[in-house]
Amino acid sequence: MPNAGFTRRDWLHQAGGGFGTLALNAWLQRETFAQSSRPELNGGLHHPAKVKRVIQLFMNGGASPMDLFDYKPELIRLHGQMLGPKEKPEGFTAPAGAVMKSPFEFQQHGETGRWVSSLFPHQAQVVDDLAFLMAMASKTNVHGPASYMQNTGFILPGFPCLGAWISYALGSLADNLPTFVVLPDPRGLPYNQKGNFSAGFLPARHQGTVVDAARQPPIPDLFADPQAYPFATGEADRATIELLQTINRQHARQRPDDTRLEARIAAGELAAKMQLSAPEAFDLTRETQETQAAYGLDQPETADYGRRCLLARRLIERGTRFVQVWSGPQGAANNWDNHGSIPRELPPIAKSVDQPIAALVRDLKARGLFSDTLLIWTTEFGRTPFAQGGDGRDHNRGTFVTWLAGAGIQAGATHGKSDDLGYETAEGKTMCYDLHATILHLLGIDHEKLTFRNAGIDRRLTDVHGHVIEEILA
Amino acid sequence: MPRPLLLWLLLLPGLFLVPAHPSRAETPAEFFRDRVEPVLRDHCFACHSHASGKMKGGLTLDSRSGWESGGGRGPALIPGDPDQSLLIKAIRRGEAGLRMPPDDPLDPEEAEILVRWVHDGAFDPRTSPPKESPAISTDWWSLRPLVRLAVPHASRAANPVDAFLSEGQRTAGLIGSSPADRRTLIRRLSLDLHGLPPIFDEVAAFVSDDRADAYEQLVERLLASPRYGQRWARHWFDTIHFADSHGFEHDVFRPNAWRFRDYVIQRFNDDVPWHTFVREQLAADVLYPEAQHEWAALGFLGAGTYDHSAAATAPMSFEHLDRDDLVNQVAASFVSSTAQCARCHDHKFDPIPQADYYALQAVFAGIGKGNIPFEPDPEVAARRRTWEQWKHAANPPQPDRLQSVEAVRMVEHWEAGLPSLPQWTPLLPEVFLSAGGAQLQRLPDGSVLSGGTAPEKETLTIITSAPLAKITALRLDVLTDDSLPQRGPGRAMNGNLHLTEFQVQLFRAGEPEPRRLVIARAVADFDQAGWTIQHALDGNPATGWGVNPQEGRNHSAIFELAEPCVLTPQDRLVLSLHQDHGRQHVIGRLSLAVTDGPAGDAVVIPASIAAILAVPANSRTPEQSLALAAWVIQRKAEDELRRLPAPQQLYAAAPVAQNERGTITIATPREIRMLKRGNLEQPGEVIGPGTLSAVTVLPARFSVDSSQPESQRRAALAEWIAHRENPLTWRSIANRVWQYHFGTGLCDTPSDFGRMGGPPSHPELLDWLACEVRDGGGSLKHLHRLICLSDTYRQVSTSRPELVAADPANRLLARMTSQRLDADAYRDAVLLASGRLNNQQEGPAVAHFSSRPGAQLTPYLDYGDFDWNGPQATRRSIYRVVWRGIPDPVFDALDFPDLGLLAPTRGFSASPLQALTLLNNRFVLHHAAHLAKRVQAEAGELPTQIGAAVRHTWQRDPTPDELVQLQALAAGHGLQAVCRLLLASNEFLFVE
Repeated sequence: MPNAGFTRRDWLHQAGGGFGTLALNAWLQRETFAQSSRPELNGGLHHPAKVKRVIQLFMNGGASPMDLFDYKPELIRLHGQMLGPKEKPEGFTAPAGAVMKSPFEFQQHGETGRWVSSLFPHQAQVVDDLAFLMAMASKTNVHGPASYMQNTGFILPGFPCLGAWISYALGSLADNLPTFVVLPDPRGLPYNQKGNFSAGFLPARHQGTVVDAARQPPIPDLFADPQAYPFATGEADRATIELLQTINRQHARQRPDDTRLEARIAAGELAAKMQLSAPEAFDLTRETQETQAAYGLDQPETADYGRRCLLARRLIERGTRFVQVWSGPQGAANNWDNHGSIPRELPPIAKSVDQPIAALVRDLKARGLFSDTLLIWTTEFGRTPFAQGGDGRDHNRGTFVTWLAGAGIQAGATHGKSDDLGYETAEGKTMCYDLHATILHLLGIDHEKLTFRNAGIDRRLTDVHGHVIEEILA
Repeated sequence: MPRPLLLWLLLLPGLFLVPAHPSRAETPAEFFRDRVEPVLRDHCFACHSHASGKMKGGLTLDSRSGWESGGGRGPALIPGDPDQSLLIKAIRRGEAGLRMPPDDPLDPEEAEILVRWVHDGAFDPRTSPPKESPAISTDWWSLRPLVRLAVPHASRAANPVDAFLSEGQRTAGLIGSSPADRRTLIRRLSLDLHGLPPIFDEVAAFVSDDRADAYEQLVERLLASPRYGQRWARHWFDTIHFADSHGFEHDVFRPNAWRFRDYVIQRFNDDVPWHTFVREQLAADVLYPEAQHEWAALGFLGAGTYDHSAAATAPMSFEHLDRDDLVNQVAASFVSSTAQCARCHDHKFDPIPQADYYALQAVFAGIGKGNIPFEPDPEVAARRRTWEQWKHAANPPQPDRLQSVEAVRMVEHWEAGLPSLPQWTPLLPEVFLSAGGAQLQRLPDGSVLSGGTAPEKETLTIITSAPLAKITALRLDVLTDDSLPQRGPGRAMNGNLHLTEFQVQLFRAGEPEPRRLVIARAVADFDQAGWTIQHALDGNPATGWGVNPQEGRNHSAIFELAEPCVLTPQDRLVLSLHQDHGRQHVIGRLSLAVTDGPAGDAVVIPASIAAILAVPANSRTPEQSLALAAWVIQRKAEDELRRLPAPQQLYAAAPVAQNERGTITIATPREIRMLKRGNLEQPGEVIGPGTLSAVTVLPARFSVDSSQPESQRRAALAEWIAHRENPLTWRSIANRVWQYHFGTGLCDTPSDFGRMGGPPSHPELLDWLACEVRDGGGSLKHLHRLICLSDTYRQVSTSRPELVAADPANRLLARMTSQRLDADAYRDAVLLASGRLNNQQEGPAVAHFSSRPGAQLTPYLDYGDFDWNGPQATRRSIYRVVWRGIPDPVFDALDFPDLGLLAPTRGFSASPLQALTLLNNRFVLHHAAHLAKRVQAEAGELPTQIGAAVRHTWQRDPTPDELVQLQALAAGHGLQAVCRLLLASNEFLFVE
């Protein structure tokens, strides 16, 4: 581990004298409560917050509802019949085939009797802790716009994502870790690349920090490459940063009213703190063997997603506000976009996340983190009840499943239901606006009041829509 | 109580009087309804409400959110704290520049009501702004006609910019600051005009330049440098979200986008009139047909994002949103309007009905994004245009052109140089085979006739020995016959044929393998439109030679060999005639011949022309002369066109464009309908092309009907924008130029001059500057001179306590505002400091990353790993590939915008992650090492080396204290550590 051999605490302490302390304090104040996150509202902005931190699990590609959580016996009865739309709808990649039943067994689980397919045996054991939105819908059948929609509320690029809005609204909980961390699938970024984690028109510091958990250092540029640049490593690094801060202070002293100079000096102090804290936060070997095994780190199929779920918990614990854990890269394989074959393509990706997710639910609960942590399982759209090709399924914006768990959520609740085929919503249709409004609500934010003026509009995460989904709130 | 005393009391913070106190029985809601709102309505709504259509200072008071978000100076009220509430301060009238209502003060009782209201928590039940606002007035600052105002002469200022600004300063009781020193000035000017700091030698030269006009000379020198365009192009690219990749799911690279980059840089350097710049970008193809080399301007139309996946699978919504993006881009960048807000309903704040928005969509209803042919060389373009015109005149023949002196001279010249006509020797087929199953028959004249059932497709193989010792060309005659439909020469129902490929192979006696004879060129006496004889040589079985509509006649084609072929009697020629088109487009009857005559023009003369040539020139009939001229000139034009370099490609938008999905054609513009709530499934009336009706002095609908080419729509919009009476255009560009000099525009929302935008701090100055651009020939450099030569621009940026108090945002400009280098300037400044900046101009975008294929169309990019020492690695940032969805981390850290959307302003961030990037990113460290190497090579001892490094970065000598500090660092950790520090320092990052 580079730079592990020295500590910076002492000099930070000394260097914090005089102007630096003032600047740092002022800036911390602003950073920590970027808007006016209020302690008397438990850190909320407009009303008392129930949630302070969020982990979002994003199944990239469009996780098939009727093969996972949305049991559809009607598909068994109608299997093989040509009941789909005659014309290829916008965003379908091929004309609709015959009705296709799920190739997987469904059983009821838990006290709530929730139907879960055989692909999610581990999540089946924790279903009573989850609240389901069974009738999510999107505006588009195309990955790019649909991913934008779930992340930013708009089908066009350039808008801030949920994590960026939360960072903008509430600031950081800790000054030594990034506020908004994205853990993409190591096999590749999702559709839209980094557009899904963009701060859009919000200040750039609210964008997601993309962390490659497998890389050293995991936070980009946390440390210089010690082989290539020894002059930026270890003691040299410490001495350089110390003098840099001194020289920047000398410079700022002659320009006392420029808060941007102070902000950069304060950011330098925080950078040093992050260098101290981040390596520990990212070090999964500090977890017990039992914990590692529970997350599936000891099995090749689950090791990667398990590592990232565990990392998400460690980051949340240490004050990162929002962590997004992606399953599946963009592209035609290794994700949830199972056009080719549901029985062949869905089981491996489902297996890779199932045990880690169940472990995360149990772990958050056991550690008491559910007292102020929200966990969300999402995807960008659903899949057709009609076959594509032989036994694949096409994109379907009509209905899909999302679940939530943790603080402020009524465990075991259900909202909405799809039609008998699982093609459209039947009751309680829920859009991303409602989900986002609900998440913000739990964070103590009124989604209609969280605005940023851009190009003539007071922009909101929820555009001009959104209702808090009371049915799933505790 | 007498009024003056009461007013005086009101001025005392924390004191309020009893009479307006709500009675115990009165609820907050009643108090608001009965007392507070009437005061607001009577005294404030005229300028601060949706109903009046006015939001002066950006403030509305007709809803709770109106005063919560407040105007340009922040929230109007702080509930519970009247003394700190702007509105209360305003009605107390104790502060200069903050006195409301502007004319008469409120009655003390009314003032007291508002104070009490705020003190008690400002209960306000009006949670949403009034839904139904009456028609929104076009009486709005940005829409008013542009009138050249007199420069205020009360001021002693010589420069009009100063004269306008000193008015505002005087009103606020402020005076401007002293001039900055020369080092500061040259740094400021260089960064503003070039996006680069000066080198130390330039600073030293300027500091010691004792000419009276040294500063003016410097401004001129900087404006004349190509670096000026490289800098100001970047601002335009931000404004219009130009980048080198699609964005969205399939974030594909656009290898031909760079031509637009070079165009914009060049046009800024040319100081092209702004109205010309507008016209070129929207409609160069129509408005400047002769200047094809400027058509790279059309890259503007392709600047934005492209959702490749949606284009393929959801075409309706794709086209709608793609046009939406372009409408937004055009309205925002040229006329600072938020037309996009009227997609689903009439604009809520500005006078933009929904129909205007769809009229703008209709302007772009005939184009789609992709590559179009582009001719960068004006000379080649001229030649291509000339010969295209001749080719066009020859077929069908245009007598007036073909009988012109020029044409006659061309024909005479050709005929004078004509060698003797070649002799053709018939080839007698020895073996002939039909792969299609036709019954072939050799007729007495040596020709071959195809009989029996006509095959759908055919390949004829003919084997023959040559009757000559050498051949230079082969000739194929397709002949009529009474047995053929319409007498042939083909067997299709109309007598046509399609020869899809023609190949000749030579079997040398004793050689095991045949060899292919290369055909250099071919000519036919007649080519069907789109089915020329060249199509029989292109290797594509889907294309070929045809003769429609000239069926029922003999036709011939001549194939000239690349090299003469020497033959022995034992050698065999094998001819393959592929006819793969289908539907019986096969040859009905043919004969073959060869010649050993000299290659060249004469070889390929068809029989009909040979017959005319046999007649002496002065005896030819007018018809014969015309036919000859048509044939000669068409051939000549085709030859000339073939010799020209192939056109280049440009990423733009056009009715026909090539992209990853093939050729995208929009034959006639799409019908654009009003969409209820913006929903494609709820179309309303058809809307024709047009623009914003809020500019009342110009017609808002274009008289372009659907029979005219779509380009007329773009031309009409270009003319509307470029019109001298369009007040938005000139205010918009004047404000942008101002913004990039001062950090903030006179209007601080440069792409929104509507009611949700910021009010201009100096509307008179903005109008005066707009008139200067418009009436100064559209010259931006004129505007730069006005600004840079003003005293205002030359002030120090140091703040003073009275300025902090009275004008914290420095809108009154009683000092200069310092600016942090933006991402591009930072990178270029690092390269300049390390001595490695590559000044190469122009050319394709440079990848500052390595890439490998991704899962689908989007590649993986690695910005940390590429050839850091290659010459392209150190090109200026403007030339780098900007990949929308995969940003460069250094640029990301320094607020380079997300170009999925328009970015009329750059943000400012300071975060720990940014600090880490500037300290540890490989780009910085690599160049810190180079800077160290540079100064070690330049200077002797360590202190001198450190001094040089400081001069390269801060453009000054280090103070003795700094030298001691830096020397200590260098002694412990090397010069490279010092260089790393300098490149991350605030003094390097900020310009004053």
